Amino acid sequence: MESTISTTKKPGLTVNDAFASHFAKSMFLTVAGLAILTFIGTRMFTHIDLNLYGYMVGTIVFIGGFFYRFIAWGERPPTKIFIKKGLKLLFRKSTPKTTTEQLVTYRFIWERGVYRWMQHILIGWGCVLACLVTFPLVFSWMYFTMKENGYYTIVLFGMNVMNVKAEGIIAWFSYNALNIAAIMVIAGVCMVLYRRLKNMQARAEQTFMYDFLPLYLLLFISITGLLLTFQNMVLHGWMQPQMSLIHQFSVIVTLIYLPFGKLAHIPFRPMSVFARNYREHYSEQHMKECKVCGDQFVSVEQSSDVIQVLGVNDIEFNMNDGFNLAELCLPCRRKYRISRFSGVATHQVKVKEANQNANG
Amino acid sequence: MKKRLYLELENCIGCRSCLAACTQCGGHEERNRNYVYDVNPLVNRQTMPLMCLHCVNPACARSCPAQAIQIHETGAVLSALVEKCIGCQNCTIACPYGIPKFDTEQNLMYKCDLCIDRSKDGIPPMCASVCPTNTLQWLTDEEIEAKQKQFNLDNGKWVTSMPYLEGETNVRVNLPGILQGVTKLF
Repeated sequence: MESTISTTKKPGLTVNDAFASHFAKSMFLTVAGLAILTFIGTRMFTHIDLNLYGYMVGTIVFIGGFFYRFIAWGERPPTKIFIKKGLKLLFRKSTPKTTTEQLVTYRFIWERGVYRWMQHILIGWGCVLACLVTFPLVFSWMYFTMKENGYYTIVLFGMNVMNVKAEGIIAWFSYNALNIAAIMVIAGVCMVLYRRLKNMQARAEQTFMYDFLPLYLLLFISITGLLLTFQNMVLHGWMQPQMSLIHQFSVIVTLIYLPFGKLAHIPFRPMSVFARNYREHYSEQHMKECKVCGDQFVSVEQSSDVIQVLGVNDIEFNMNDGFNLAELCLPCRRKYRISRFSGVATHQVKVKEANQNANG
Repeated sequence: MKKRLYLELENCIGCRSCLAACTQCGGHEERNRNYVYDVNPLVNRQTMPLMCLHCVNPACARSCPAQAIQIHETGAVLSALVEKCIGCQNCTIACPYGIPKFDTEQNLMYKCDLCIDRSKDGIPPMCASVCPTNTLQWLTDEEIEAKQKQFNLDNGKWVTSMPYLEGETNVRVNLPGILQGVTKLF
């Protein structure tokens, strides 16, 4: 596929030709971008917090793993279609609403259960809050200076954003943002663990490595982080440097693991916005009519995309009756199968399918 | 001992016990994932169940952009992983038998997982354990072979799994006696 495309273009002239692979290009651009932002943020590298350099290295290893996993995933034929068309449709009117529902308020998880939603909000937003504080500090995009006694200046990307009282409420929230995040994550993880210990279905399906390990990692990070505060406030900093290394270790291990285990659903979730846009856009354009009953059941685009994707996998559902199975609506497709079993043309009988939901 | 779901379609009397039992499986959240169809509704009362046949090369999983449909080591094609499913509904379009169901509110596909919490330990899935007429059975390969000998049809088409399906499946479906003019003695 790739080679046929590249032969039609003039070789050696595009930016892509400067890189050995898609991975190399993404990696180079991201690391270069980080370096430039850090250059600006640290006022030409004059305010780097070297105490946090371990996180910096960890982040770059994470980015490597992330691109490795994401690009391998994006190469699968169905994923490729969704990424390509999703990017094209990104600027729909409904995108902000869809994005909010899918990525901010987790409305679909609310529909799956309030308890489930609560644990997601706590863990999800706890982690986002922690990341919003940690990464700007790690790359020194944000730091604090004290010109005047009793007042901190918050410096964001090299600009003095505001002066805050060192004892004030904004300052208090800045110092304690990570503690709040840790408490949110610990509460969420405890809810998850409780469900996983009690719920019989969860107990039947879960495995330690896939379902529990990421939870324990989050717990490890949050507890060691909170301990740092505890040691400062109560133990006068006793063993604080050691604990800070342990905490750093826990964060780096989790970051590196993130793209490969269950936590990988976090960076992949924005795809659901793509999927929603794709379905909305193409069903407004042209709907496919079922070859048997004439009901409109899916967009023409999606139907042909699925047929094409299956074709790549050497799966063909072209029937002797002159249609592809993907061209039948679902009830007709099921009835067609019954007709194949029985020899009676069930799908041609104009009777609605009998009660298929066991609701009594 | 590996057992398979085995369907003897002509035994079905349309009681829909399998649908009711399906709702009661642990992970199914009281929604059934199988179907029972009238074969020729304006003419006679024959019904047949239809459920996921657990293809060896499942079109639903192949068409999933999120790798949400996993194949269990027992061969069962599992329902979408809740954290991975992005709600594109490709699987519903891809499935040759129209099996996957979709919940728009939850943005989640759900389908038969052969009651994996039961069948992974060799316990029959809910539908097979309640079927009163042995339409749905949970058998070893040897028992399925014995069934084949018992009915002793020499046209080589006793098991429909290949000629009447779109590909090899883990669930075995037999060719209905009705079609062959065979009367079964129970």
